[in-house]
Amino acid sequence: MTEYLIRRLVQSAVVMFLITVLTFGLIHSAPGGPTKVFLSPGLSQQAAKVQAEHLGLDRPIPEQYLKWVGGLLRGDLGYTFKNHLPVGDILWPTVGHTMVLMGAAWLLSLLIAIPWGVYNSTKEYGWSDQTASFISYIGFAMPTFWFGILLQELFALKLDWLPLSDMWSLDKEGQIGDLLLHLVLPVSVLTLGFLAGYVKYARTSMLEVLQQDYIRTARAKGIHEVRVVYRHGLRNALIPIITIIGLDLPILVGGATLTENVFNWPGMGRLFVEMALAREYSVLMAITLVTAFMVILGNLIADLLYALVDPRVQLGRKGGSTA
Amino acid sequence: MNLTIRERQPEPAAEPGWKGGANISGLTVSRRPPGMWRNGASKFIRNPYAVAGLVVLVCFIILALLARVIAPYDPAAIDLLGANLPAGAGNHWLGTDELGRDILSRLLVSGQVSLLIGFSVAFASVLIGTMVGAVSGYFGGWIDVCFMRLVDVMNAVPLLFLNILILALFGSKFSYMIIVLALTSWMGVARLVRGTFLQLREMQYVEAARAIGVSNTGIIVRHLLRNSTVPIIVTATLMVGGAILSESALSYLGLGIQAPDTSWGVMLSNAQEFMLIDPLQALYPGLCILLVVLAVNFVGDGIRDALDPRKQTHPSRKGVGIWRRNSSKFEV
Repeated sequence: MTEYLIRRLVQSAVVMFLITVLTFGLIHSAPGGPTKVFLSPGLSQQAAKVQAEHLGLDRPIPEQYLKWVGGLLRGDLGYTFKNHLPVGDILWPTVGHTMVLMGAAWLLSLLIAIPWGVYNSTKEYGWSDQTASFISYIGFAMPTFWFGILLQELFALKLDWLPLSDMWSLDKEGQIGDLLLHLVLPVSVLTLGFLAGYVKYARTSMLEVLQQDYIRTARAKGIHEVRVVYRHGLRNALIPIITIIGLDLPILVGGATLTENVFNWPGMGRLFVEMALAREYSVLMAITLVTAFMVILGNLIADLLYALVDPRVQLGRKGGSTA
Repeated sequence: MNLTIRERQPEPAAEPGWKGGANISGLTVSRRPPGMWRNGASKFIRNPYAVAGLVVLVCFIILALLARVIAPYDPAAIDLLGANLPAGAGNHWLGTDELGRDILSRLLVSGQVSLLIGFSVAFASVLIGTMVGAVSGYFGGWIDVCFMRLVDVMNAVPLLFLNILILALFGSKFSYMIIVLALTSWMGVARLVRGTFLQLREMQYVEAARAIGVSNTGIIVRHLLRNSTVPIIVTATLMVGGAILSESALSYLGLGIQAPDTSWGVMLSNAQEFMLIDPLQALYPGLCILLVVLAVNFVGDGIRDALDPRKQTHPSRKGVGIWRRNSSKFEV
């Protein structure tokens, strides 16, 4: 276990290192190079040279890279060009806002998807199953932002039941009730997106489990069907679901970008687009790294959880039985 | 060596019942079993969703090809006096937008952009993914490790972020968009091809091919790739939809197609700005995206169901009934 953990940590560190190289390399291969990217436009040549020296842009590229990574390790994400604000001050609050939105949508979709998928697996090709597969087809094919715009038009403009956008109304910042009202529309959009996949996963993995011998044994012993499905079946079916959820974490972190932009939610995705249009590269680099870090961490946690839930999985034993 | 097996009888042209099969006592008996493709095609045709998807897709492709010809107005022509006309007003079937541009014409031209991007991105990323997956799965070793780390890296960064970052750095050109989307969506195909290759390269026929001196390239192209065509085709089809969605998302965010060019994503972001004045404007482009992507996905699923030999078909009750009735006829 410890050996496996160490190996995975090293692997994650390598991937993280490669991501810093990728991001740094991308910025430095932009047309005109970093000098054009990092320096304020409209400077005289003399001033540009001074600023480049001040920012260390005249140093060799490996040295610049090391300096940048060194800063990252100390938690220094750099400064914005426009107002010279620390990137962390802008970034961290938006991470929290994204987490609130995504967490709510994710929890809601799991709460709906798992029972629904389990029910569908017991009534294969029934009307509920057909509805779920219809929803998943639509969910995969529909542009989420379009659905968001339609919801805004219907519930915010036409019916005037819910707020149009933003996280809080102007005079009610910090009130939970107001936040919940603002959450309804974006969370519905995101939930539909998640549901499309999760119901299917839950159903498929449940169907697989229900064909196992131990389910037949349980039924043969005369255990009530509900108990067979929800206790003997569901517990085992959860294992593949957990893995898939772990693999889905990138979507969880980055997938709210469109929804956040539609509903003007002050999260990481909206910040990313805003900063991309304003060409604030230090913020873009920071967001890319932070999300990548969270994704790698999430995958690691999912792997460990997998081992915790399924005692048959023996991590670290090469070629061992992973069932 | 193969000659004895594959030798064909000369077609007896005079007899009518001999086209493709023998006519024995009124029943047509096929001379040889239908191949995978013909079998698949007949299964595909019997799948109503797949056929409907194909019909919708072909309609969209024809409309896109003829967009410039059948568009009633110039999609970029601004007419401030006729702005925000409702649907049907003054020969504008779907009305005009806030600058007086004809919405129907814009939809048609946007379709061109979306389909072009969808198909070329799918093609390019399947090409990249197949090459990476093939090399990685066939040779293994350090090449495999390198490529798989690269896949890990690409998968760890949310792809939308990566797309936005690259487009923001290098500028939003139409050609860049295709390249960027292709470069960020090949990983799935690579994994798939690699997985198939890992399985297939241990097969006996590969060993036999190597024994008679077929080169690595020959084995990859002629023996391994041919056996992984089905999953590749299916993924390629499903990728077209994904690429169309990505394009519309990037354009909606203002980083994709730039004015005066237009795409469904651009139209949606416009429509959101003016939704107080004309809420219906948001409906059409989104509906187009939904229809096209749905159609492509149905076609992809149809191909998978038709060509996958492991896929068990669930015959409908009606189908079983027909089969029973027909087979009872022959029993007599």
